[in-house]
Amino acid sequence: MAVGVKVVNRPGSLAQQAYLPAIAEGLGVTFRHFVKNFFGNVTGNRKKTDIATMEYPEEKMKYPERNRGLHRLMLRDDGQVRCVACMMCPTVCPAHCITIVPEEAPDGRIEKRPMIFEIDELRCVVCGLCVEACPCDAIRMDTLDHAKPTYRRVDAILDKEELMSRGIQSTAVQGGVGAFWRERVGGQPQTPPAGAVVPAGAPHGPTPLRDHGHK
Amino acid sequence: MTTTPITGTPPSPAPATELVTVTVDGKTQQFPKGTVLLEACNQMGAGVPFFCYHPGLTSPAVCRQCLVDVKGQPKPVPSCYTPVADKMEVMTKSPRALDVRRQMLEFTLVNHPIDCPICDKAGECLLQKHYFDWDAKLARNDGIKVKKAKVVDIGPRIVLDQERCILCTRCIRVCDEVAKTHQLEMADRGDHEVLTTAPGHQLDNPYSLNTVDVCPVGALTSKDFRFAMRAWELYTTPSICPGCATGCNIEVHHSHGKIQRLIPRQNDQVNEHWMCDEGRLTYKRVHAQRLAAPMSGGVPVDWDRALDDAGRALRVALDAGPAQVGVVMNAQSTNEDLYALARLTFDHLGLGKVYLAGLDQGWSDDILVSADKNPNTAGAMAIGAGRLRTLLDLANDLKSGAVTTLLVVGTHGVIGKDGAPGALPLDRLTTLVVVGTHRDEVTAAAKVALPLAEWAESDGTFTNRLGMVQRVRAAVPPAGDSLPGWEILSHLARKLGATMEFTEAKTVFAEAKQKLPFMKDAEWGRPLLPVQLRFAGSRG
Ligand code: SF4
Ligand code: SF4
Ligand code: SF4
Ligand code: SF4
Ligand code: FES
Repeated sequence: MAVGVKVVNRPGSLAQQAYLPAIAEGLGVTFRHFVKNFFGNVTGNRKKTDIATMEYPEEKMKYPERNRGLHRLMLRDDGQVRCVACMMCPTVCPAHCITIVPEEAPDGRIEKRPMIFEIDELRCVVCGLCVEACPCDAIRMDTLDHAKPTYRRVDAILDKEELMSRGIQSTAVQGGVGAFWRERVGGQPQTPPAGAVVPAGAPHGPTPLRDHGHK
Repeated sequence: MTTTPITGTPPSPAPATELVTVTVDGKTQQFPKGTVLLEACNQMGAGVPFFCYHPGLTSPAVCRQCLVDVKGQPKPVPSCYTPVADKMEVMTKSPRALDVRRQMLEFTLVNHPIDCPICDKAGECLLQKHYFDWDAKLARNDGIKVKKAKVVDIGPRIVLDQERCILCTRCIRVCDEVAKTHQLEMADRGDHEVLTTAPGHQLDNPYSLNTVDVCPVGALTSKDFRFAMRAWELYTTPSICPGCATGCNIEVHHSHGKIQRLIPRQNDQVNEHWMCDEGRLTYKRVHAQRLAAPMSGGVPVDWDRALDDAGRALRVALDAGPAQVGVVMNAQSTNEDLYALARLTFDHLGLGKVYLAGLDQGWSDDILVSADKNPNTAGAMAIGAGRLRTLLDLANDLKSGAVTTLLVVGTHGVIGKDGAPGALPLDRLTTLVVVGTHRDEVTAAAKVALPLAEWAESDGTFTNRLGMVQRVRAAVPPAGDSLPGWEILSHLARKLGATMEFTEAKTVFAEAKQKLPFMKDAEWGRPLLPVQLRFAGSRG
């Protein structure tokens, strides 16, 4: 069987078929942008140019407020670390990059605090789960900063002092000291604020206890 | 205990096994007369919550968390305090039962500090569990909570947090009923009721750490375990306490290859739900001063070289005169290690001078603790079958020069704490080959020292004072290069020209079971992987 060939007749004027006018038109657009960007940039009038490229490092991207950047440890009113070494963040961390060694705090009202708190920024996948998990507003990633490049791997492991050096005081009042939270938010005691996530109603009934598999 | 927090076996029902028929939530089942209704309900899967009830203790019915509706009763009844009766009809999930239980839970939580982030019990706390199972609502209570004392030092091993205490009195009953001493009490009334030590007492009885286990919340915490780990980071492996001849069943809780704590495991024939405080600390020795690499002539060498050296040294001695070669067994070793050693010494080498070492005798009581501080004396005696001599005999034989070459397997107690009666003139020996767990005087004096895995690092069995052969399971990897005893002895046997080919502890067990009458009925049990407590429900 012979191969069927279908001839498509493209409509078009002679000018279109010759291509040259279209080339000239395209070059015209390029030239117009060139002039605009060139003189716009020279005069420093960035707004008038069409350049999307950032002139890094002279110019830096403005991150959104909720950007997840380098970690920091928040501070108590007296400048101590807020973290109580509850181990929520190392538990949830999918990259296993948080190492905490707890110790007994000398202040009996605090009881527990981290002796060692290290985050390996090379292993961190910047997921932000540690911030979500923290019940104490003790760890945050809102520094709008990146993990710094280092020559040695160990330098990418941030210790407690370094993490605290970026810390600020949390807005949460510490240890139940201060105004009762409902007075501060001025809310209605019985009704949770609109949009609050209320745990599903009870009773769920017992969650079956998993046998350890041995007696 | 951990295995049976809610669906536990009933506290041995009345001997006359008269059966009664009980209907729980529409399902009918027969139970022995005298069974506690709570146990009956939970065996049928109702999951009735409770705080003050504990299968190993009396029921005071103080927490009212276990209320259920019984047909014909005007009010909900505390199921922990009610024995089953024939044709009883129980509704555990009637609207009224659910409502009263939820109200009781809310009442318990009124002054609870909800310290979960810093509370050691979080993750295995009954209050957390019941709240998530049965309530899970936002708090309605708007008042300021009553403040009580935190971090109260109530004894050498335990810290109390009075705010977290839910006043269930389990700990008081453990002291009264298990340790048989009255050291804890309730003080004050109502909102201000607190747990405290009895006048003139502190919580220091030898069973005090059981209070930490039974405390349904984190009010009592063990100083040794405090803040070491969160419960959900732990893995659990069932095993046997090596602390004494009682052989309490335990669970080894470990993480990252390190043991973090030992807790009792229910065995009604041995330790019920309990273990002593001393036994809980036996794990410390697993991670301290261990002999990590084979040593020959005082320098670390690889296994091949060390075994060659050990084999050659023993060969020379055996050729010179087997009568002058002695062997020391240890009552701390498993039956499998002892059996392998017995086969090597008695069957293959035909040696006669075999001595039994072990830790010195200690204190005892008629609750759990035995004076014999070795977990496997009964096994060693049975395997030795009358051929074992004492360390005193060894001391005499060393002094008289009757023994010039010694193979020691297990160094615990070979040189006694105070030097006597085990004080051995080891320097009289021409050749000392040691298979040992720790860096001590004996391994230091050895010509060749081979690193031996500890109790928690190898599989095997212990025979307790009742003659029960109980399974010990490897929970953590062996320290350094150490190997289980039977494996080292198999290698050594090969170097000495004997054939003793064991490939795993189970094969040693199987052979010993055939040869030794006392192991006839022993079970090896099925293989188990360590279970992470994160997936295993609560304890307490
Ligand atoms: S951001 Fe994610 S990966 Fe990084 S430390 Fe937090 S939890 Fe771990
Ligand atoms: S979750 Fe928060 S309080 Fe808990 S260990 Fe991490 S940083 Fe500390
Ligand atoms: S300390 Fe624990 S066991 Fe003792 S009464 Fe309080 S909650 Fe119960
Ligand atoms: S009584 Fe003996 S076996 Fe039981 S826990 Fe104490 S030391 Fe261990
Ligand atoms: S468990 Fe029944 S009243 Fe406490």
